[in-house]
Amino acid sequence: MSAVWRASRAAVKRRRLQTFVIGLVVFCSTTTVLLALALLSAASGPFDKAYAAQRGAHAVAAFDTTKVSREQLARTARQPGVEAAAGPFGQAVVDIPKDWLWMAGGTLTVVGRADQAGPVDRIELLEGHWATAPGEIVVNWSVQGSPDPELLGTKLETPGGATLTVVGFAASMSKSASAWVSPEQMAALHPASAQMLYRFTDSSTEARLSASLARATTGLPKESLTGAQTYLTLKQAFSARADSYLPFITLFGILGLLVSALLVGNVVSGAVVSGYRHIGVLKALGFTPNQVVAVYLTMLSVPAVVGCVLGTLAGNALAGPILKVAFSGIEVGRASVGGISPWVSVACLVGMPALVLLAALVPALRAHRLPAAEAISAGGAPRTGRGLRVQRILGATRLPRPVSLGLGQPFARPSRTLLTMAAIVLGVTTVTLSTGLTSTMVAYGKVGREDGGARIHVTTGGAGNDRTPPRLSDPQIEKRLRSLPGAEGVRARALSQANMTGQTQPVFADFYRGDDSSYEHTIVKGRAPATAGEIVAGPAFLSQRGLKLGDRVTLELNGRKITATVVGQLIEGDARALEATWESFAQLAPDARATEYTVRLASGADARAYAEAVAALDPGLHASVLDSGNAATATVITFSTVFTVLLTLVASLGVFNTVLLNTRERRRDLGMLKSIGMTPRQVVVMTVTSVAGLGAVGGLLGIPLGIVAHRLVVDHVGVVDFPAHMKDVWHAPQLAAMLLAGVAIAVLGALVPARSAARMTIASALHTE
Amino acid sequence: MVVRLDGVHKEYGDAKALDGLSLEIRAGDAVAVMGPSGCGKSTLLNMVAGLDRPTSGTVEVHGHDLKKLDETGLALFRRRNVGMIFQFFNLIDDLPALDNVALPAQLTGTPARQARRRALELLDELGVAERRNNYPATLSGGERQRVAVARALMNRPALLLADEPTGALDSRSGEQVMDLLIDLNQIGQTLLIVTHDPQLATRCASRLIEVADGRVARESTLEATA
Repeated sequence: MSAVWRASRAAVKRRRLQTFVIGLVVFCSTTTVLLALALLSAASGPFDKAYAAQRGAHAVAAFDTTKVSREQLARTARQPGVEAAAGPFGQAVVDIPKDWLWMAGGTLTVVGRADQAGPVDRIELLEGHWATAPGEIVVNWSVQGSPDPELLGTKLETPGGATLTVVGFAASMSKSASAWVSPEQMAALHPASAQMLYRFTDSSTEARLSASLARATTGLPKESLTGAQTYLTLKQAFSARADSYLPFITLFGILGLLVSALLVGNVVSGAVVSGYRHIGVLKALGFTPNQVVAVYLTMLSVPAVVGCVLGTLAGNALAGPILKVAFSGIEVGRASVGGISPWVSVACLVGMPALVLLAALVPALRAHRLPAAEAISAGGAPRTGRGLRVQRILGATRLPRPVSLGLGQPFARPSRTLLTMAAIVLGVTTVTLSTGLTSTMVAYGKVGREDGGARIHVTTGGAGNDRTPPRLSDPQIEKRLRSLPGAEGVRARALSQANMTGQTQPVFADFYRGDDSSYEHTIVKGRAPATAGEIVAGPAFLSQRGLKLGDRVTLELNGRKITATVVGQLIEGDARALEATWESFAQLAPDARATEYTVRLASGADARAYAEAVAALDPGLHASVLDSGNAATATVITFSTVFTVLLTLVASLGVFNTVLLNTRERRRDLGMLKSIGMTPRQVVVMTVTSVAGLGAVGGLLGIPLGIVAHRLVVDHVGVVDFPAHMKDVWHAPQLAAMLLAGVAIAVLGALVPARSAARMTIASALHTE
Repeated sequence: MVVRLDGVHKEYGDAKALDGLSLEIRAGDAVAVMGPSGCGKSTLLNMVAGLDRPTSGTVEVHGHDLKKLDETGLALFRRRNVGMIFQFFNLIDDLPALDNVALPAQLTGTPARQARRRALELLDELGVAERRNNYPATLSGGERQRVAVARALMNRPALLLADEPTGALDSRSGEQVMDLLIDLNQIGQTLLIVTHDPQLATRCASRLIEVADGRVARESTLEATA
């Protein structure tokens, strides 16, 4: 084995540059792949783990107690397919005042449970104790960390006159309720609903969950089941943000893998082909074919392992901050996100060197089969038959001879050329995809800002923010804001937590009045809400609740209910939020007032002066200029740029390696050409032309692939539904620039070896055989 | 004067390849350079061809002081003034004989058709016109060297340099190449031949320069034996 090791070490030393290139390629690829895998695993792993730890409910079902008895519900626990069940628990909707605890006001779904344990939905108590006595309430805390213990003792007046005191905070991954009270207290609230929590033997898909629930509730009175929420919906909501990044990160990861595989195959094939004489010498010295294969595989393992280890370290360093961004603002509950599952690093550390060795195996096996004499003679024998016809045709053209010689070179080694071109194609695909994504995201970032005017956000003071309440009334504020210089439109907003029939968790309902010009650009399907009983929402809200345009839902607030129709879909939106008109709000809460105003300024109007004027208007108003940036846009553009730089670098390295191999193989030819008067500039032109043609063809093939990839990505971002004009980002000048990207990648990779060839000392090349 | 070397030194690290070598070659001369391996004769040829630069001293070829030329200037100098023949032919394997010969003219911008016409004339003169479409791998050693000679003559150089032109050939092919060089000299082509082969030197050259330790050890005039 020591002979193999010595021969490998010598080969690595002799091919320092190629070894470095392989290491760099593996490094970049490993980093890319690790990022993709880390996000993929973070999107589901932590949720599943935390959900399993609490024996989370596969389905949380609400029943109308006027139609079904407790005994009937209890019997559903023994139905086929039900692995475990908890309940029935009384369930009531309680109104909460504005700014109660951290909530904006609205309603609270309260469930009566004797304890937090049980076969399903083992709620984790974070602060205080469980509500065991009448007058006690435990509130759900759905984000990471824990609430301020000082909030314990906060009172809540119920419509029935009872006062509830917050005695604890708890976290339920099942989100089975917003708060819990003792069964006795629940009875006092006169619940009209009952809750059942189920775990099913088969919970793999939404359809199977629905089937299991239907089987469990077979025999219950018709329409007694008023709503159900499955854990897959929660899981989807958990990973919604990450999911929006996943399509393109996964695509970039796949592109990275493909480019790596191609490049490694190319580099290794080149090393074997250019090392035929070396192989012959090794065999002549007594190395067995297996030892020759071992020499080549060992030679490649060294940079592969080093590149992979460094890539894994770099990927881990990068993935932490990226995951933090991807999961910011998500209700993670007890799920721990931000850490990277160890299997991701293990997969990279094992998988990437395996990929390199697999790519190396084919050419190494060629070395295995090659007879020693043939190998030695092949090292110096002239090539015949390859691309000769092309060379002749090119020689007869009017092209400058260095150009025609360069154009003919790729035909001398077709397989190497194909691998190089594939790397360029994937590089151009990446650049095209990235450019398209950037254009789409820039257009997306400008939504609602088409007029170029600034936006001023005005909030009112009150109990929730310890600021002085405004002395002006809601209509007066709106009127004054509209009359200030520069204002073109004012939109008033009130936010409330409303209960939606069939949902245990409240929805955030935004009610608007006034300037609704932004809907012109933000509604992608249907139309804007115009009157009472009309709502619009983002794609995540609608898809997670199985809603579509025309569907009707019931909203409940302060004991009042309205039936609303989904009339439009917004380009994007919080998965828990819907938007409705002020008329709807007036029906649900007649005395409510707006708490925020968005002022649209005329283009060129002084935003700072306007904000100061607002402050002077009423000390209870706080104005700020809305940031023109968009976090999602910035994130996607940053990701795209990082991946594009990485993959373009990798593709360029592929070209670099090919040109390096070609110039080394053609050292004698280059010497001869220089001896008959080829100038250094002509050598550079010939060498660069040899790959620039590939770059142009690579561009032609890569552009359509990039366009398809772009469409795949933008069509699968669940939280945003891009309208057609944001997807149609390709125009002739841009496509021409993309075509140049292929040439640029090729020239970038070829320039250094080309210049090195131009400076080559020719005397020694010519006088040796 | 076609070639003038004056006090040329060339050092590779501590090793001296040329040690104050001086030499003059007039138009129409046929000069053979001989000497043991490592004496500096190939370095001398490289200096004259502009393939390498002296450490010190002057190299003038056809009125050009090569020390004053940059890399591009040297390339243009070689293109216009020098033709080279090598021991191992150095033909481009991917090009047929005709295109190999036409290459130097095409590098100067001569249109392909015109370059090929001239190349065909040269191949015809050298007796290998019927092999014009053959690739180097399918030619015999003698044929390859004839093609290489044709390529060297393509731009009508003032000086033809030959580095062991018969070294890789069998005796019959070697004889043919020698005859060719003699014919070329007889029509006025200046020749500088580096060789180990006394027969080649005595048959083809009118002057013999023996080099030892990087210097001209002896110079003599030869009687043409052809």
